[in-house]
Amino acid sequence: MTQHVSPTANRKEIDLDEVREIMSHFKPRDYQEAQELILSALQEINERFGWVSLEAAEIVAEHLGTTANRIYGLLTFYADFRTEPRGNHFMLLCHGMSCYVAGSSRLVQELADRYGIRDGETTADGELTVQVVNGCLGVCDRAPIVKLDDKYYGNLTVESFNEAIQRAIAAGKSGESAK
Amino acid sequence: MTVYAPLELNRLSSRAEFEALVERAKARWDALWNGDHTVVTVGVGSSSIAKGALDVLAACQQAAAGQPIIVRQVGVDGADWMEVQVQVKRPGAPTVYYGNVEPHEIPDLLAGLLQSKAVGVDGDVAYEGIPPLKEHPFFKYQHRIVLRDVGVIDPESIEDALARGAYSAYLKVLFDLTPEETIAEVTAANLRGRGGAGFPAGVKWESGRKARATPKFVVCNSHEGEPNVYKDRRIHEGDPHRILEGILIACIAVGAERGYNYIGGEYPLAIKRFRKAVQDAERLGLIGKNVLGSGKDVEFRVRTGGGAYICGEGSALMYSIMGVRGQPRTKPPRSVEEGIWKRPTVANNTETLSNIRDIINNGGAWYASIGTEKSAGTKLMTVQGKLKTMGLVEVPMGITLRTLIEEVWGGMRDGYKFKGIQTGGVSAGPLKEEHLDRPVDFDSLTDLGGMLGSGGFVVFDDTVCAVDFARYLTAFNRFESCSKCVPCSRGNPALVEILDRIRFGRGSLSDLALIERTSKHIIELSLCGLGQVAPMPLLGMMKMYPEEFRAHIVDGVCPTGTCPIGSRQTAATTAAAAD
Repeated sequence: MTQHVSPTANRKEIDLDEVREIMSHFKPRDYQEAQELILSALQEINERFGWVSLEAAEIVAEHLGTTANRIYGLLTFYADFRTEPRGNHFMLLCHGMSCYVAGSSRLVQELADRYGIRDGETTADGELTVQVVNGCLGVCDRAPIVKLDDKYYGNLTVESFNEAIQRAIAAGKSGESAK
Repeated sequence: MTVYAPLELNRLSSRAEFEALVERAKARWDALWNGDHTVVTVGVGSSSIAKGALDVLAACQQAAAGQPIIVRQVGVDGADWMEVQVQVKRPGAPTVYYGNVEPHEIPDLLAGLLQSKAVGVDGDVAYEGIPPLKEHPFFKYQHRIVLRDVGVIDPESIEDALARGAYSAYLKVLFDLTPEETIAEVTAANLRGRGGAGFPAGVKWESGRKARATPKFVVCNSHEGEPNVYKDRRIHEGDPHRILEGILIACIAVGAERGYNYIGGEYPLAIKRFRKAVQDAERLGLIGKNVLGSGKDVEFRVRTGGGAYICGEGSALMYSIMGVRGQPRTKPPRSVEEGIWKRPTVANNTETLSNIRDIINNGGAWYASIGTEKSAGTKLMTVQGKLKTMGLVEVPMGITLRTLIEEVWGGMRDGYKFKGIQTGGVSAGPLKEEHLDRPVDFDSLTDLGGMLGSGGFVVFDDTVCAVDFARYLTAFNRFESCSKCVPCSRGNPALVEILDRIRFGRGSLSDLALIERTSKHIIELSLCGLGQVAPMPLLGMMKMYPEEFRAHIVDGVCPTGTCPIGSRQTAATTAAAAD
């Protein structure tokens, strides 16, 4: 998955003290358990900040007795992780089968045509990051559906899709810790 | 109100103490339903939250302030079409189920002014003109074992679960049954793996018990990464203790020291509620050393995935638990010989383990009497597409697709025409109108190229192009390939490329033969089970809709107008965008 973030995008810094605080809750009793906790730790950081930076990865590696290298291998394998910060707004675009048969491909197309972004990318103005969900958001009777910041928008047409994005951008930043 | 206050939960050290707690939980449950107060229950799950369930819950709490009203939350019961669902139980009346409730309607609803939104009532007889809920076609065909308490109990309350029989089977397995007897019941039940493969759970447990290396582990596979299934998520969100009990019973039966539940990371609410269930069970001493004084120890860990479909494969899942990339390995050794940390590991699907409580309590023969001879029991099934009453149902094996589509799920919405039904997620092909009278079980659909799989069906209408749909399904497999073995990681992109050629009007008839040949390579040479079935949806589409493939290639048209043939879009942007 390629991720292009424009230099003008809001580069959110990760508060490393907060990362250390998160890590202090992980108390492996042995080496095996430490390895089992790597993914959980990364998930918590990814959820809190929207991405995992190299510095954060190093803290995790040190705490759990592994290397930043291995952590990078995990971050790039599992689709939920990001190694670049998100834009001001974050969208999960459900591309499960229900959404596909209801026309989610048109929304993916619209993102490419109008906003110039593909899966994992951020718009040039740093406003919107999209992640295309290959699984399912589980709200199939309202397909096609997206989760934009904290809100769901269902039964979308291309028009209502654009409207939702414009409204979110007009309303301003969704907060530092994009959920 | 005090009648429904949480009970004090302390570590229990004997069977008698546990049974005393269950009595208290039952008394609390009875008091909840038989008092002079009104009970308002809101279905809160990930699907209903998307429709404003939390606002409805807040509105109920606001309206209840200072009133003799108890507001509680439960998981969603599967009836997605009636979300947000609110149940109201007034003193002396049966529970009334309201569907599609909006937050602003709550005052009216509680004042009894919103009877138009009442869908049904509890029990066998109509009440004030509202028919029994169980006579609604969506519920009429259901036989709820796994889902019995989903939408009934508060998933974050172990007291609710205990009152409804949670851990009663665990108690039996700890004190009354030998591991051999426990496994014999599971074998007698003919419980087959609900994750898709249909492997008998009893056989797996037996090999796990016989494995000599120690320690042993049990893993519950709650990954569910397919783009069309949400059943396991709903069990987690509605009745987590049922899953936990199944895993703990498996641990005792195979002699495992530790149980795991591996939950997909996309399911935050499921993870949260399941963790709460584990915490409560630990607090009561149902997990830990010397459980209830039985002399048996069992440990438990929750692990979460990171959004990789491949981690639903057994060995990949175990690598993911061990903190590395989830990439399958060659077998043998099977995971029941060498699994997590190279130790014997029994892996079962969530739904499989969720059936265990009732099998132990009612006997394997009882379970085997439900469903069909070769596919015993019930199956959770989900559907997607333009249907009227969509949702998750639990039906006996052997029900026909027609009954499911036309009655349970209410038929096509107005303006949409049935074209086909995709079965087996991304691992099998579609079926057409004339196949709908086939029974649904593990074996009846396979000769047509279909599959029960994990029970996820997708109904598509005549606006969906078979070629484009095949590309979507193949592109999914391409994206989710773990890249370990070449046939899958190179073969699936090749298939997508050929399909794109056809979609853009540059295909030739020889491409169809090329698809067959490439698919054969992928099927025969891929390392893991997921790779070996990756081309199945495409082959199924070609088998069921050959005329559409020909129309693209020979006539240069897309019959539904979906594909870019004839449009001005450039190949590069569309192909890239549709990923």
